[in-house]
Amino acid sequence: MGNLLKKFPIKMVGIFALIGVALMFFVSHDDFLYTQPIMQIQKVEELSKNKEIDTFQNVDHSYVQKLSGVITNGKHKGEHITLNNTYTDSKAMDKKYKVGQKAFVVLHGQGESTIRDAKRDTPVVFLIYLAIALMFIFLKMAGITAIGSIIINTILFMVALYFDGFNNGSNVLWIFSILAVLFSAITLWLVIGWNRQMFVTLASTVACTFLSIIISLIVFKFTHEKGIFYESMQYVTQPPRPLFLAETIIGSLGAVMDESTDIISSLFALKMERPDVSRKQLFLSGRNIGKSIMGPLINVLFFIFMGETLSMTLLFLKNGNSWGYSFSMNMSLGMVQSLISGIGIVLAVPVASGLTSFFAEKRRK
Amino acid sequence: MSAIIVLGLVLLVLMVLVGGKQGFQSFLSLVLNFGFLFFAIVLMAFHFPPIVVTLISGVILLALTIFLSGTNDETSRLAFIASVLVLLALVLLIVPVEHWAQVQGFGLEDSDDLEGLSLPIGISFIDIAISTAILSTLGAIAEATMAIASGLDEIKEQHPDIKPNRLFFDGVYVGKQIIGTTLNTLFFGLFGGSLSLFVWFHGLSYSLGDILNDKVFDAEFIIILFSLIGVIITIPITSFVITEQFKNQKQTKS
Repeated sequence: MGNLLKKFPIKMVGIFALIGVALMFFVSHDDFLYTQPIMQIQKVEELSKNKEIDTFQNVDHSYVQKLSGVITNGKHKGEHITLNNTYTDSKAMDKKYKVGQKAFVVLHGQGESTIRDAKRDTPVVFLIYLAIALMFIFLKMAGITAIGSIIINTILFMVALYFDGFNNGSNVLWIFSILAVLFSAITLWLVIGWNRQMFVTLASTVACTFLSIIISLIVFKFTHEKGIFYESMQYVTQPPRPLFLAETIIGSLGAVMDESTDIISSLFALKMERPDVSRKQLFLSGRNIGKSIMGPLINVLFFIFMGETLSMTLLFLKNGNSWGYSFSMNMSLGMVQSLISGIGIVLAVPVASGLTSFFAEKRRK
Repeated sequence: MSAIIVLGLVLLVLMVLVGGKQGFQSFLSLVLNFGFLFFAIVLMAFHFPPIVVTLISGVILLALTIFLSGTNDETSRLAFIASVLVLLALVLLIVPVEHWAQVQGFGLEDSDDLEGLSLPIGISFIDIAISTAILSTLGAIAEATMAIASGLDEIKEQHPDIKPNRLFFDGVYVGKQIIGTTLNTLFFGLFGGSLSLFVWFHGLSYSLGDILNDKVFDAEFIIILFSLIGVIITIPITSFVITEQFKNQKQTKS
């Protein structure tokens, strides 16, 4: 343990902590960057409390609070305003404000104003910084490459969104399919390098992602998409079905890539160590590596896709809907996405092992 | 037949073909995970405290995922201990940050979906947001601990007389290899899962400031960041647990 402590990078942690404090100070005072007026709350007075019972016998309380504060940016900077805010115990779409917090407000003139929403860039930047700092401290160079690939992919994603906006989403599936191939190529290039191993991994990733979509489309055709409620999709501004498929392609891509990379890099390492290993042996050990990681990987996406439906499902249940209806309207799409990506992840095991045993063999001749 | 059931059957057949008994167990863990998740939501609807329900079901879900997909019981046991430690460390981060960021419940973008629904249901949505964050990170934690534990297991088997301290740094090395691809799994999960939201932002020309302060986006984004931080701290924690266990084993042997 003493040895471990000695290697603890105390200097680096100190530097990151210092930069972090400076960054947090800046973000919590960055009001001048915003065009919407921001108010800092200086005084809070609780006005009233009322018991509320809705038609489903849910008991809640609603409160009115009087907030006084000062505008911190724009041409009204320095002006004092006072306004009322209503909140409930459950705080689904409202919130209780406290002294010192900042919030966006709408000024209607003549001293009238309403509160819009909290300013929450500070906690978000804090978490981003924490993640990056931890990555540097524990992983050094590997962290830099990983962050680099995220930045490049985010830019590509924004370009794709820009193209998607042109014709109201009629090409969404094509745009994001091409994006999926670009995403994989760039990420794998950064992680593996420009070599044979990268091309095999790329081929496996792209093949399995699209194969899983094709299989699902066949299933959709024969079941007439029974039990899939596209109308329950959230934030839809375009035809939902192609958008849903595009979401699924991008969403499962990372996991399929993860599985393919793990299998193929282990197999290439094996081939380097023992060049005389046969195709069949390569394929079988690929299957062995793959089958133990496929389960946990499917669960990663399962929890991400299903977790975000929790609030809405609960709200449906508390509004007198049956379990079945609450599931269909909120969780069925996440379930379909988990299953489709699961199929892609499982397919990656034989495809990645097969491609490697074929192409790794060829080089020796 | 419903498309979900057919897709599930296709997945089951593929998993058994590829993984045999282990594949069947992994499929079983997926089904049980769904069952426990839904059961947890129903308990919350009956006003059981959401965070307590989530912590208990979280530990069960980790156990299901790790023990049903692992091959070696000893490795799975260590991975499970490590994953519970990571989960506890993450909860200490999630609870204050969720209270700070206030991303609970729903945002303005949800208005259409909320039509006709009564919102004051008497359950704190901050607690629900904390539960959502904890549940969403479980998969990533389980995957990362499993990967590092089995990597170190491999090393222990090949070099039985490796020094425990050396083993710790090997764990960090294994972690470095998995972090790049795990990061991608998480971020592509975010890009994919929120694609329609991003299309919305683009269509209505949200500025960077708007997006950074948007409740719905922040809620999903900080969950991905929690998972990422979870995966990063998994690396030293798992390595530490396995190293300590290895030390004890050596002492009892000699």
